[in-house]
Amino acid sequence: MACLHDHSCEEHDCSSDWSLYKHIDLTKVSALNEATTGSVKSVFKAWEQRLNSSGDFLESNEGDPELLVFIPFTSDVKIKGISIVGGADGTSPSKMRAFINRDGIDFSDAQSMQAVQEWELVENIQGVLEYQTRYSKFQSVANITLHFPENFGGDTTQIHYIGFKGEATQLKRDVVATIVYELTPNPSDHKTKAEGGGGLSHVGK
Amino acid sequence: MVLEATMICIDNSEWTRNGDYSPSRFQAQADAVNLICGAKTQSNPENTVGVLTMAGKGVQVLVTPTSDLGKILACMHGLEVGGEMNLAAGIQVAQLALKHRQNKKQQQRIIVFAGSPANHEKKLLEMIGRKLKKNSVALDIVNFGEEDEGKTEKLEALLTAVNNNDTSHIVSVPRGPNALSDALISTPIFTGDGEGGSGFAAAAAAAAGGVSGFDFGVDPNLDPELALALRVSMEEERARQEAAAKKAAEEASKQEKGGEQSSSQDATMTERAGTVTSEADNKATDLMDGENALLQQALAMSMDDPATNHDVRDTDMSDAAAEDPELALALQLSAQDSTKDSAGQSDMSKLLADQSFVSSILASLPGVDPNDPSVKDLLASMQSQSEPQQKNEDKAPNDEEKK
Repeated sequence: MACLHDHSCEEHDCSSDWSLYKHIDLTKVSALNEATTGSVKSVFKAWEQRLNSSGDFLESNEGDPELLVFIPFTSDVKIKGISIVGGADGTSPSKMRAFINRDGIDFSDAQSMQAVQEWELVENIQGVLEYQTRYSKFQSVANITLHFPENFGGDTTQIHYIGFKGEATQLKRDVVATIVYELTPNPSDHKTKAEGGGGLSHVGK
Repeated sequence: MVLEATMICIDNSEWTRNGDYSPSRFQAQADAVNLICGAKTQSNPENTVGVLTMAGKGVQVLVTPTSDLGKILACMHGLEVGGEMNLAAGIQVAQLALKHRQNKKQQQRIIVFAGSPANHEKKLLEMIGRKLKKNSVALDIVNFGEEDEGKTEKLEALLTAVNNNDTSHIVSVPRGPNALSDALISTPIFTGDGEGGSGFAAAAAAAAGGVSGFDFGVDPNLDPELALALRVSMEEERARQEAAAKKAAEEASKQEKGGEQSSSQDATMTERAGTVTSEADNKATDLMDGENALLQQALAMSMDDPATNHDVRDTDMSDAAAEDPELALALQLSAQDSTKDSAGQSDMSKLLADQSFVSSILASLPGVDPNDPSVKDLLASMQSQSEPQQKNEDKAPNDEEKK
């Protein structure tokens, strides 16, 4: 389901479309089977820098082309399309599978679970290919996990850029992290107006 | 302060019955496990630790990752030793247990104690290692027990397959006087990856090495009651020793006299002192050999019931002049012997070997005639346990004396 841009690509037009990278929670991005821990963060950048991989890209371990990337967003987003720029010489991924709103997927989970959507990828060095999503399924995405099971024959898999096209809602799907429950009420926490001397009861001072 | 979920794989195979690590390989492992659990939980309160056994009837998960130390310590009790270790299955089950941890934000780590030979193929172990690395699970290997080349080679291969950025380590602990846990304290297994050591690890290392600012090698923060008890008994012992030394100096010449009660009391007291010092020895070895002998004495005194009787007697010394010098001398002798050497047996044999002492006791017992042949036989048999020559010499002049 790849489609080419049917208009001459003016930088600022396209870049505004591909601005979902701003809503990615970069601190919580993680990848499995990456050769260098933390290198996955370098693949999320602005559209105009997608070809500019100044040395930092996501590479899998030697001899094992599988990659699993977990991407949380700061708020729920709707994803219309995904763009992937791979490496040269067969190191581009050939398949992509996406899972939505699932935490802590590892390789055995990814291989056994049914993906929300799967794509056959093409080698896309110039980064002009966009893979459309079944939009109805990608309406409120808090996090997305991308699984790249195979590549085009290279020893490792390299990914230089991952871009998301769509729009961000302002909704947050936060799990309530810390709640403090009171076992017994502490009167000092619950000053009423009468005690505080508020209202019309100021006399003198 | 890394947030981590750890699974510890214990080797409880038949090989761990071996006593080359004191008290046995299995016990040394159990101590190390306890220390590790404590260290992990202290470095980050949200860390969880789980335990599984690799031998016995099969791989069995004793505790799933939990931050409750009590549960972990409880499950270490009553573990049976037997069977053969299954390293591959153990690691895989550990990985599965970690996969189902409750807090997915925790990093995954497996600590394996390999105390018996590894029966798996190197290829299989490497494959397991690669799978662990792929799922970003770190692995620490404690290599102890059997020291054959093949085993070390296989474990090193496993480590290189797993290692990602130096998060995994292998530690080889050779046989020796040091406990397994002490050898592990200074390794990255305890101190975490390049964090420079948590407070717990540092304190434990200091206590073990005996080079600490703490008296008695016990951290007052870790165990305030023990530290206090040790200090109090030290002071008590010092006071008692001073009193005893004073009395003994005054009345050393009267050692021939002695009441019936005091002599029998002495016998029981010396016996108990013997057993108590051997108990103290176990404690002392736990606290490392560098501990001063005064500590052993203090422990002995604090655990000794008759010692409280002696307190009373010491204060009454001025009244009963006949009884107490015997007692004071006995006290002093036992105290001196504890300082000289730690073996309980030799304490008793030295006291018994002190011929003049023994004969004086016998002389003081009514109804016992030292010239009685049965008594002489008894004396002879006691002496044959200790140095015979010296005793015979002593015995000869004493016999003459009695006659």
